[in-house]
This record gives sequence, C-alpha cells and structure tokens, in this order.
Amino acid sequence: MRTLVIEHLARVEGHGGITVELEGDTVGNVHFDVFEGARLLEPLVRGKRYDEVAPVLSRICAICSVAHSLTSLKATEDAFEVRISPQAELLRELLYLGENIESHALHLFLLALPDYLGYPSAIALAADKPDAVLRGLRLKKLGNLIQETIGGRAVHPVNAVAGGFGRAPSADQMIELRSALIAGIQDSGAVIDLMASLPGAEFCRCHTVYAALHSPHPHSYYGGQEVIVASDGGRSTVHAADYKMLSNEESVPHSHAKHSRFRGQPFMVGSLARLTVNPSRIAGKVALAAERLGLHLPADNPMDNNKAQALELIGDLERAGEVVEQLLREGIEDEPPAAVHSRAGTGTAITEAPRGLLIHSYTYDAEGRIAAADVITPTALNAASMEMHFRRAVEQCAHRDDALLGKRLEMIARAYDPCISCSVHLVRKR
Amino acid sequence: MSKPTVGIFGLTGCAGDQLVILNCEERLLELVSLIDVRDFLMASSENDAACPLDLALVEGAVLSGRDAARLETIRQRARILVALGTCAVWGGVAAMDGGADRHRLLEDVYGRAGLNYDSLPARALHEIVKVDLKITGCPIEKEHFLAAIANLLHGNAPLYPEYPVCTECRMLENNCLLIERGELCCGPITAAGCDARCPNLRVACVGCRGPVGDANPSSLLAMFEEKGVDRQRIAARLRIFAPEGAVQ
Repeated sequence: MRTLVIEHLARVEGHGGITVELEGDTVGNVHFDVFEGARLLEPLVRGKRYDEVAPVLSRICAICSVAHSLTSLKATEDAFEVRISPQAELLRELLYLGENIESHALHLFLLALPDYLGYPSAIALAADKPDAVLRGLRLKKLGNLIQETIGGRAVHPVNAVAGGFGRAPSADQMIELRSALIAGIQDSGAVIDLMASLPGAEFCRCHTVYAALHSPHPHSYYGGQEVIVASDGGRSTVHAADYKMLSNEESVPHSHAKHSRFRGQPFMVGSLARLTVNPSRIAGKVALAAERLGLHLPADNPMDNNKAQALELIGDLERAGEVVEQLLREGIEDEPPAAVHSRAGTGTAITEAPRGLLIHSYTYDAEGRIAAADVITPTALNAASMEMHFRRAVEQCAHRDDALLGKRLEMIARAYDPCISCSVHLVRKR
Repeated sequence: MSKPTVGIFGLTGCAGDQLVILNCEERLLELVSLIDVRDFLMASSENDAACPLDLALVEGAVLSGRDAARLETIRQRARILVALGTCAVWGGVAAMDGGADRHRLLEDVYGRAGLNYDSLPARALHEIVKVDLKITGCPIEKEHFLAAIANLLHGNAPLYPEYPVCTECRMLENNCLLIERGELCCGPITAAGCDARCPNLRVACVGCRGPVGDANPSSLLAMFEEKGVDRQRIAARLRIFAPEGAVQ
C-alpha cells in the first residue's frame, strides 16, 4: 500500500491537507485533513451579551466575516423577535452582495486561475497577464468598497448591529458606489471571456447532491429560512429550526472528523448548489453567460463551481446596481436601529455565505446573554462531499502519477473554495 | 541592492490580516515589485519553506504545539519578525477566557475525541519568541501595513498611535456614547489607529485593537460602575480581544 499526501494545501484559506491511500488499483481511505488550531469560540461566547456575539463570531473567518456577522444578527433577531426596517433589509442584502463579489473575485483570480494557466500564484501570473489579474483585483476592490460603504470595514464589518445599522450610508456615498458598479459591470463581461478561454477540467465525474437556501429573491444571500436539498430531480425542504437534519454530525471510524450527510448522502453547498436549487438565478445576462461557459445543471463535475462563481459575479453586480438604485430612488434615511428587547429564547438563522450554507443557532437566557451557541459552516458541510470527489478523481485517473493526481486533488479542493478557519467546528483530524 | 526576502504566515486565526494584505489590490502588485515574497502559502503554491528571510510577517495566535513549532522555525529564519494583528499581538478573541478549563471546552465542542487534540491556551507571539515590531488591529489597518513596509524598506521603524480611540473620536466631534448614552464603549482604554471607526458610526467600541499603552482601566471601571453596570459584565466586555493579564 502507498499513501499520497498533500501536506499543506496552498492557495486556500487556513491550514489543511489531503491524504489518499492506494492499494494496487483500489483506493483506500481518503481524508480531507484539517489541522487548524481550535479556538473554541462557541463555548467562549457563552455568557456574552447579545450585542457582543456578532463581533466575536465574525472572527471565525475574515473572508466570510459579513456572512458570520449578518447570520449572527439574524439569529439574535429571530430569538428576540426583532423586525428590522425594509431599508435595513436592503442594506444587509447589499452588504452581503459586496462580500460575495469580493470573495468570488479573490477566489477565481487569485486562488483558482493560476492552476488553469500553469502558474504558482496570481503574482507570478501578473508578470505575463497583468490585464487579467488587474481586472480581478478591480472587481475584488469593488466588493470591498461595498463592504466599506455599508459595513464600515472590508474585513469584520462594524456597522451592522442588532436591529439594523449604526449609521446609514449617505446619498453621496451611494452615488459613488453607483459609479463604481457601472465600471464593474463593464469589467464583468471580460470575466466570462476569460473563463470561456480556460482549458477544461474534466477529471472528476460524479453524481452530486446539492443543498442551498431557497432564495426569496433570485440574487439574495441573506433572506430565506428554508433549505432545499436537490438530488436526481427530487427536492426535499428543511426548515431553519430543523437544521440538525443537515448537520447530523456523524462520526467516521478513520478519523476524528465528523461528517454531514442528508439521508445518508454527502451533499455539496456553494455557488453551484445555489444555481441548481434556484433556477431563477439563471436569467438574462447570467443565462447567456451560462450558455457561453457550457454549464448544464445539475452538474456532475465539482470543477463547475468555478463557472458558477463567475455567473454569480455577473448576477451579483447587476443586483447590487439595482439595490443601490432603489435606495437612491426611495431616499436613504439615517434611522436608528429597531429597538431590541432581550429575553430568554432560541433563534436560528440560515444564510448563503460565499462558500455555501451558514447556520447560527443561539439560546439566550433572560438577561440576553448566550447560554448556548451552535455554528455550522459551509466548509464543514462540504467535507464529506469533498472526500467523495477526491475519491472519484483518483478512481477515474488512468495514470496513478503522484504529481498529476496531486494537482487534480488540489484543483478540486480549491474549486470548493474551502475556508478552513471556518471548518474546524466539525471537521478535525491530527 | 537585492530586494529583501519576505515570508507571510498565518498561525491560528481568521486569516484577516493576510486578507488585508491581499486587499491592497492594485498596490499589491506594486508592493511585490519592491520585495521578494518567498513564502506565502495562502497566495502561492510555490514556496521556499526554508530560506532565510529579511522580514517575516506573522498573523494569528499560538493555539497548538504545531503553531509553536512553526513560529520557532519562522523566528530562526527571520531577521525581523512582525506580529500582525490583535491575535498575534495580544492573543485575540481565543484568549478572552484564559481561566476556562480547556479540556472541558474541547469536550463540549468535539466530544471525547477532542481530548486528544493538539490544543493549547491561546498565546501571543511574544510569549514564545522575540517580536521586533507589533502592528495591532482586528484586522490591521491597510495603511499601517503599507507604512510598515515602506519604513522598513528605508531602514526606519514605523510609529503608530500611542493614545486611545477617544482621542480620535473627539477629533471627529462625535457625541460620547459612554457619557451621553451610557454605553459600554471601550474607547478610553483601546489603542487608536482606526480613526474611531465604530463610535463614528454610533456603535460602541469593542476594543478590537487591544489595550492602549497608558490605559487606565480602573477609572473606566469606576465610571461604568457608577452607571450601575455590574463588574462581571464590564470585565467580560473589556476582555473580548485581550487576555485577563493585559487588562487589569
């Protein structure tokens, strides 16, 4: 028996690796190894008052810090039955779009693209193809501008609070954002040109189950309360309060890792899952781009998640433009956050982080302090599916050359856009 | 003159400070033309994990034996080691309750398997190795990072504010959240440099940049107590981003 080990995955967020055991032609154990230190933020947040929870738990992950903050606030507001204003809802939607634009641009251009073009990094790639890298960096900057304007900071937003926002952005700031979005929408056409020009990545074919939030609006990441699991044309619905059906932490004998399955099957979350579960996301310019990239859903290739992220970039920029227009048209009011009256109770929120479903569930005591907190992250939900796709890629590789296999496995891992800081809650080994 | 060799590393944390570096965007390409980045796992799949470094930028706290060993290796390679962000400088959110029974917490989250994990109480970098420069912030401010690189390239030590967030907040002529609204604002004891980002948005400071050098937490504690807030709650608030020892 021999073992293929990818010691430390590069160009991903956090510390993880891959181990594959091979016995002749048979593939033995396949592990997604996580060796991120345990920060134990869920037990540490116990006893914290409700207004301190989002600032602590956003620190689970920088790249998903808007997702963690807003999911945290949504769970707290669910527990206290706080209704935020329509303006605050729109601002949160826009803030979430900003994070998704930044995160997808970062992933596609800085982390995934170098693999397709045979470079070790975007920095090396920029020496030969500066236009492609600069375009990606401009889109990333635009995502950050949205987060800075609405959230007060690009990493770990500060302006979103229980009940709404500390201070609404000014009309001048929104006008500046509108100009930047118009330029960004012009850049996004070139993203599809670039994606369409990349060599194919056809080395892992596999029937895949997808899970995503049912979106009330085609391009919303923040709204919604129900998850849909799609498999073989069938759809099952899971309500937020029953989220444990998705995260039934199953112990696996080969490691300390606990894996999420739905009715015994691994499932994939993220961009590809969102498009599969919500066909209304593929319309207009996004539909044309999908055709151009040859993306057919449901996909049987996890590498298609990169194409799905590119499609979302198109849709997100368009939707962000609409939200800004609407806010300018209706007038932005510098309103205080809705009153928050804390009480004992439980609240659960599900949103779509850039990498997929994110769940925060809290129980509060009568003084408005956390008695119990549970956070389920997309990378933890994806772990079982990633291992399944690693296994299929090895099985489907005719030449068991370690360098080739290693490159393919790393590309699959990166296509999932894993966020390993986030994942440690469920998946852990070593 | 050859370009200085640089390594960028993350121990346990949220990768936010490395993300701030990537957020330099167009300026990032200009920056990497002035330095020779040899080891940056988050951005490159081709790294020299052994070469000597003129400058090592390290974010995150030490939370495992693996982290401690990595940090010691980085220190041996580096002429100048910079602690990047509140976790590296103070321990950060994972250090907020140093007194908690770690075994019990591990078992709470991971079950019995958690008892075998390589897991240590959170420590700042200076508790393990010599640190030459500290840039605090959760995350660091982009301009502070660029100023550090620019200064170090010219052989200077960068200077950062040594006064509290309140000073910046007053310059912006904000109403005081603490005095006028009775909110638990950590501005008086927190290091400035963020341009009072939160109070400027009418949100109370949570102390994410860590304590300011000449902080006077006892007078703040007395002021909060005068407003009828119980001591335990105040203490919990003051320790979100730094361990007990840092805020007396």
